[in-house]
Formats: sequence, structure tokens, C-alpha cells
Amino acid sequence: MQSPGKATAPDQAVKTLVVIPRNCTGCRTCEVACAFVHSTGGRLGRSRIQVHPVGPERFVQITCLQCVEAACAKVCPTAALVRNPTTCALEVNAARCIGCGLCEAACPFGHMHFDTELRLAIKCNLCGGRPACATFCPHKALEWR
Amino acid sequence: MDVKLKINDVEVSAQKGEYLLDVARKAGFEIPSLCHHEAVRPIGSCRVCLVEVVAGGKTSLTTSCNYVVEPGIEVTTDSELIHKMRAVNLELLLARAPGARRVRDLAARYGVSRPRFAPVDDNWLPNCILCELCVRVCEHQGHSALSTLGRGDQKKIGLPFNRPAESCVGCGACYSVCPTECILMKETRTNRTIWGQTFDFVPCKECGAPVITEKHRDFAIKNQELPENYYDLCEACKQAAASKRFASVAW
Amino acid sequence: MAAFKNAKQLADHRKKVVASRPENRKAIAVCAGTGCKAFGSYKLLDAFKKELKKRKLDRKVELRATGCHGFCERGPLVLFFPEGMLYQRVQVKDVEEIVKQTVVKEKVIDRLLYQDPTTGKKHKKEEDIPFYKHQARLVLKNNGLIDPTSIDDYIRIGGYNSLVKALGMGPEKVLKEVKAAKLRGRGGAGFPAGIKWETCRNTESDKRYVICNADEGDPGAFMDRSVLEGNPHSVVEGMLIGAYAIGADEGYVYVRQEYPLAVERLEIALDAARKQGLLGKNILGSGFGFDIHINRGGGAFVCGEESALIASIEGHRGVPKRRPPYPAVCGLWGKPTNINNVETWANVPPIIDRGAKWFASIGTQGSTGTKIFSLVGKVNNTGLVEVPMGMTLREIVFDIGGGIPGGKKFKAVQTGGPSGGCLPEKKLDVPVDFDTLLREGAMMGSGGMIVMDEDTCMVDLAKYFLRFLKFESCGNCTSCRDGLMRLHELLVDIAAGRGTEATIDLVEELAQVVRDTSLCALGSTAANPVLSTLRYFRDEYEAHVLKKRCPAGVCKELITFRIDPKTCNGCTLCRVRCPQEAVVGKKGQVHKIIQKKCIKCGICKDVCNQDAVIVE
Repeated sequence: MQSPGKATAPDQAVKTLVVIPRNCTGCRTCEVACAFVHSTGGRLGRSRIQVHPVGPERFVQITCLQCVEAACAKVCPTAALVRNPTTCALEVNAARCIGCGLCEAACPFGHMHFDTELRLAIKCNLCGGRPACATFCPHKALEWR
Repeated sequence: MDVKLKINDVEVSAQKGEYLLDVARKAGFEIPSLCHHEAVRPIGSCRVCLVEVVAGGKTSLTTSCNYVVEPGIEVTTDSELIHKMRAVNLELLLARAPGARRVRDLAARYGVSRPRFAPVDDNWLPNCILCELCVRVCEHQGHSALSTLGRGDQKKIGLPFNRPAESCVGCGACYSVCPTECILMKETRTNRTIWGQTFDFVPCKECGAPVITEKHRDFAIKNQELPENYYDLCEACKQAAASKRFASVAW
Repeated sequence: MAAFKNAKQLADHRKKVVASRPENRKAIAVCAGTGCKAFGSYKLLDAFKKELKKRKLDRKVELRATGCHGFCERGPLVLFFPEGMLYQRVQVKDVEEIVKQTVVKEKVIDRLLYQDPTTGKKHKKEEDIPFYKHQARLVLKNNGLIDPTSIDDYIRIGGYNSLVKALGMGPEKVLKEVKAAKLRGRGGAGFPAGIKWETCRNTESDKRYVICNADEGDPGAFMDRSVLEGNPHSVVEGMLIGAYAIGADEGYVYVRQEYPLAVERLEIALDAARKQGLLGKNILGSGFGFDIHINRGGGAFVCGEESALIASIEGHRGVPKRRPPYPAVCGLWGKPTNINNVETWANVPPIIDRGAKWFASIGTQGSTGTKIFSLVGKVNNTGLVEVPMGMTLREIVFDIGGGIPGGKKFKAVQTGGPSGGCLPEKKLDVPVDFDTLLREGAMMGSGGMIVMDEDTCMVDLAKYFLRFLKFESCGNCTSCRDGLMRLHELLVDIAAGRGTEATIDLVEELAQVVRDTSLCALGSTAANPVLSTLRYFRDEYEAHVLKKRCPAGVCKELITFRIDPKTCNGCTLCRVRCPQEAVVGKKGQVHKIIQKKCIKCGICKDVCNQDAVIVE
């Protein structure tokens, strides 16, 4: 699977987060890495990637697909979801988010999250071009290429 | 980038129509504020983002949040005068909202720990600083279920005319943006109570977990072009469903 | 009567009206302004009507209900034409005698004439009375002459002639004339009207508006009210000329709901002007079209601030917006909007009629023309006065106002309404114009002028105005909303003797923050009563906190009432009238006040014939 973010890529050199469930062992290193990277003020962040068991010894990593026609961006009343031109990731502009929670409800894949303490929408931003999940995945189940 | 200005003697470029506070912050200058939110119109309520602007040879003390940048202006973001003016306004706010963490912290940074004024004798909405962020985010979304009531020192925040508001969808954005955490919101597994009104959640069709309030979903369906079934499942159940779909193509 | 299709038809009509009412025709003009109305002038009108009819004089003598003459203290006022004689404090019982003697026999009834309290001289003609003699009535001139409900009355005295002239001049020339006249806005800040007009005209737009600000909220001020009530067509004509110069085709008058008579008379005027083709499309065949709507304000003081006023017309809460952008660039519904107050608009027709040069010759270099003040408070002749700019406060208060009643000493005068400043006796000789007043810590405002005598406590005064302002702030800015609330609290403390020197310092510090960090003019001027009284009467504040004394004997917590045993004659008047039964004493013997019971209402002092009640 490839995130369709590439479809809007202005530049052919843009990399994509490639998810290869076949290689996933369910070790959840990606989840831990994500939570670490997104921690704020000594508090672990909420992981933007989740590993779901789908059968015996079978796992699927679920993370944002960076949809081209994203439901979250469509419903956002303040245009707080902005496409990063370099990574093609759809990012939450925290300064514009008013914490209404509509994006979370609208995402058909369950990839939009809501931080109930900060009262802000949170989602995968591809770590600004160096996704920690892919970096730390020991089984090449997540690749940035 | 077509407006050039100077902030603390540093040349800064901005887009026409941008507000000074946003421009300054983007350029890395720190200006405190309590009532500002990029998503809604600025009203200059808290008077903490005061700066000095020299425009056309005239110096003025002004709030930066609602100041549209003009070419050639020279801005100072901190000085003895600015510091003092911010401090007194923070002192006034602290007397109004002694229990608000953000106000307390900011006031402490300006050397104010105990205001010289008596606490406000008001049980309407303790710690509210009347910044109207709640009113503005509500209005921005098209609900306008919140309003200011009265004026002067009698001003309050509440539902218009202090009657139940039909247009409130219980989204909780007001609760999210409140800088003093003074708005009361209670949630159970089945409903959310805010401003004295209770809203039932849409239960997840799989597990029954709350997704969003029914009224908020109805509002979203009416105003957006998304399929209605997008709001049927909770985050976890949507993920589970997605993972199963993906699994079918992954192997 | 059909609408005028061109200027000639208007001129012909004027000729007809003038011919039907020759100058030497007898007329009785009864003031029907709000002040005189309260004194019973409508009953007076009825009585005159009956009496004239009884004597079959109703066709020979014209009876007219006019607008405010300004001398409200002496109402109801009745003027007799063609002589211009003024009777004051006329009662219904006088009517028969007046008609019999004055109208028929042309005899003067001496007791109804105005008598100067200082010289004892009686004056027959209105223009000889000192109150009027020192004034220069430009805007108010016609108030006493015309019936405000009659457009013919206005046309007769040359009304709408300035409009005809303006339409002939073309917009650019009209604008040039107003700029050359150096007319400054009479609503408060004194911004040059011509420059405002020009900015509005030069802003690219498919639509422009003009607004007349008649939201006169200052306590005790009624200049705009009088003009609207007494001569509404002058405002309509001014707006027409302004709209023509600016290129606007729609106008609003934002008037207080509390001015029902002004609204009524304005409605009558607008209807009449529409019927006559002076409002609407293609006015007098010029191709220029313009109409005016009335918008009633809900009574918020802050709606007098132009951006709040515009928000209010748009249907929003009356909350000021940051300026710039100024309304002239982005105003009502985002369109360029020129907003001036009633008095400013009423000044426009005379400028076009008689020229900028003439107008600029009145007043001072920087402030041209005249200004109407509502002279109230502790002054003999309260009422509306219109004087050339640059006249000194002393002339206004003493020559026109007739000084302080009861032989008391003058203490201060508050100019510019509640957020104006207080000037002491040593400033009595400063010329009253926009710039000088501002320099002295007061302001022109819209023209309120409150005179205070030695019995006024300056702390109490500041407290009073702050109380008004803290209620009337829109509540947007921390500095204004909470600042004024706190200033008021601190002043209450000082007045109650709970203050210290630190309280005064805090008041001063806070007042400066309110002035310097608030968004609109309400906030930035709201501290003026505190700052100006602190500047000129600091000793009084100090007496309150250091000696715990109120020198003027006003602040209840700091005073006691005592009966002087040497002067008391035991008449029992105070004992009978005391609502608290705090006075004891037998008839013919010295009375005493029981301090524990006394609520310091001051009734004993008011009723005592012997001046035996002492306040300390």
C-alpha cells in the first residue's frame, strides 16, 4: 500500500510511507516510537499509528493515508488541516484548531485523533519528512522511500 | 510577501492583510496574549498583546492581535512601558480569574502574584476573563449559540438571553478554546452536558462508544457533503474495520 | 402639492409661501421643545388657540409651535412677531391677558418680561437678554422661528436653497467649500469634516453611505435633540448636500429611542421632503438621488462611538471595532461611510449658503464656526447656548449663564460629557475650542457643560461619572471594563474614608492604563474625570484620605450634621421633617441631632430657615 499523498506530489522526489503488513510481527515498536516523538512537556504523546491483529500471526498497521480528498479537511470549520508541500502530509495547524472534534468523527479510517487534554486534533504528520515509525521498525514493515 | 516592516529593528516581511501578532510570532518574536486565536476574528479584549508601533512618525501603544500590518511601520514588542501596561492589565485579569492557570502563570512572569484589587464577587462563571473566544468559535462554526450578556462591568458570557439555545450542537469547541478552563462540561458514555444543556452521543454501531453528539452529526451532515454513514463508528471500530479491509488485499 | 421637478418650482413655491405670510404679520411662537413641553407649553398652545378663536383673531394672528429656544430655565417661552418680544414663564392663566393686552392693544405685560437678576433690568426683546446677546446662533437661529413640522416654514426662511446651490456647484466644489470652511466634527473628536468627506468620496466603491449620529448619550446634553426637534430639515438638507458631495445615495439617522419627539419630527420632515421630491430619485431634476432611513438606538452610550453605531445599524451588538480602517474607507456593510453628528450636518447648509470664507471668519483659526453647549448644573441660566468658538469659559458661565445661583462660589466646569474633564477657576479664561480644551485635560466632546459650585465634592463627582461609564463600557477591553470597575471601587473607598495615599497613587496609575490601553474613544477618555480632578483638585483627594474629611461636605461617610445651639430657634421644622426621627428638642428650645440615627440625608439643612444646621 502507498499513501495516496503522492498523487498530489509536486515533485517526483517526494518519499512515501510504505506500509507492508506482511512483514509486521506485531511488536508495536512503531507505536512506541511515535508516542516518543510526539511527546510534549514530558508527557508521552498519543501514538498516531496502531497495530491491529487481523488473524493468527497477522497484523495490519493503521496510520493516516494522507487522503487527497480528506474527510477531516473537508469538515474542519477553521481550515486547520493543511497540506505540507514538501511531505504531502496533511498536518494539523494547532493554532487554527478549535477542538470541536468533528474531524475525528468524520475520518472513515479512524486515523484522526483527539487529544482530550490539549483539546486539539492530532494526526500523523509523517514527522515532517522523517517518520519515526519507519526509522525504528525492525522488520521493514514500514518504509520511507 | 508584499509588506515590509520592522520588528525590534529586524526587517520582517508579511502578507497584505495579516495581523501584526501573527506576523511577529511567525518571525520568532514572543508576544503574550490570552484572547487570540488564529481561526477567529480578533477583538483585542485581553489587552496583553500590547506593542508600540511607530507609523507615519506617530508612536502609539496598540494591541497587535487586531493590527493589520502596514508597510514601513516600526514595532517594539517589549519595553518598560509595554511591560507595565501588560502587567496592570494582567493584574486586572488575575483579580477576575485567580483560579486560571494560564492567567496566573503569565501574570507571574510580569511580576504580579497578588492583585491589589478585591476578587470579583461573581458566581456566574468563575475565572472567566470575558475574552469571548468561546463566543467567537461558536459564531465561526455557524452556531452562534453563545453570546455576551449585558455590558460594562455587568458583562457575562452565556446563552443568548440566558435561554436554552436551539442552535447549540454540544460540540465542545468553546470548552476546548477557553484559556481559563472556566467552562463546565460533563461527559458520560451516552451524553455530554454543557451550558446546562444535555446532548446525546451517537453510539458506535459496533461497540456503543460515543462518536460525536447527535446534533453535531446532524449539523455536519447538513452542511458537508460527506456520506451519512461516516459518523456510524467510533475511532477504534473504524480502525478495526479498516485493518480487516486492508488485510484482504495485503496477502 | 406635487413634487418639485426643478429648482425653479421650489423657488416659485417659496415666493408663494412668503407672499402668504408677510414679515409684518402678527405671530405668536410658543416653544414646544422638550424643556418647555415639560413646563406645559402644549396646554399653553391650546389655551392660545381657544383664546384667539374666541376673539376671532385666529385668521389674523398666526400661532406657531416652534423648536427649542434654548433658554429652558425660563420656560415656557412665548415669542411675539414681528417685534421679537419674549415672555417667559408663561402660564395658562396669563393667556387671556396676553391676547387682550399684548396682541390686541400691543401693550407690554411687565411681569412676564425677563428680568436680569444681577442688574434688575427688564428686557423686552429676546436679542437684548444677556443670555442671547452674547451668543452667536447659527444652527439654533431658526429653532424659535419655524414650526418644525412644516416644510413650508423651512422653505420660507430659505430652506433647501443651499441644496439648490450645491447641486449647481457640482460635488467637487461643494467638497472644496466644506474643506475651506474648516468645519470640524461637532460630535467629539473634532476631526475635519471635509477631509472625512474626501476620504469617503475617494474610496473606490459601488455604494457609499452617509450617517447622522444622533445618539446623544451624555447625561445632561440635549444639543442634537433640540436641533432634530426644532429644525429637522436643516439636518436633512445637510445630509443631502453631504451625500451629493460624497457620492452616496443612502443615509441613516441613528437616533436614540429615548428621543420620541425628535424621531416623530424627523419622520414628519422626511415624509414631507419625499413628497416634495427633495428626497428620492432625481432630486430637483439633477439626476442625484438620495434617501434617509431612521434607525432607533437602544440606549447604549457606547453606540455613540461611530464603529459601534455602525455595528448596531448592521444588527450586531454595539461593540466598537479597531480603527483604522476608518468608516470612511470601510464602514456600514463594508462600504465607505461618512458619519457626522447632528450639529455638524446642520452646519453644512449655512456654509454652502454663505460661503466658506464667512464661516471661517467665525470662531478661531483652528476651530471655525460656532458650538452649541448645553449649559447645566449650578448656573443661573441653564439651557442651550451657541457661541463662536474661542469664547472663554468665563463668558459662557458668567455672561451668558448669569453666574452661580445663591451667591455661591464657582468651583469647576466639566466639559465634554461624562468622559470629559473638569476645569477649575484658574482655567476660566481659556478659550473654548477643540485644541485648547484637550491641552488643558478636558475636551469639547459633543458639548455638555456642567457647572459646579463650592458645594460639589470632586471625588464624588469623579465617582459619579465613573459609575456611569463602568455601566456604559461595552465590556470588550480588560482595561476599560475592569479598569473602570476598579477605579470606581477605589473612589468609593476614598469617599468613604477607607483610602490611603497609596489608593490615590493606584487610582492615578490605573487611570493612565485605562486611558492608554483601551481600544475605542470611550475607554481612552473614560479616565478623564479622574485624571482632570486629580490634576486640579488633588488636595481634595488628599483631604479625604489623610484628614478623613470631605471639604465640600458631600461624602456621607465623612460628614456629620450638627445643629448650632447659638442659631437654632427651636422652630421644630427639622424635627418634623427628619425621616429618621433623629432630631430631638422641644418647641422653642435648641434641637439636637442623634448621630446614631442620622442617615445624612440633609433634609434638616434644607428646611432650616436659620441656617443652623452645620455640616462638618
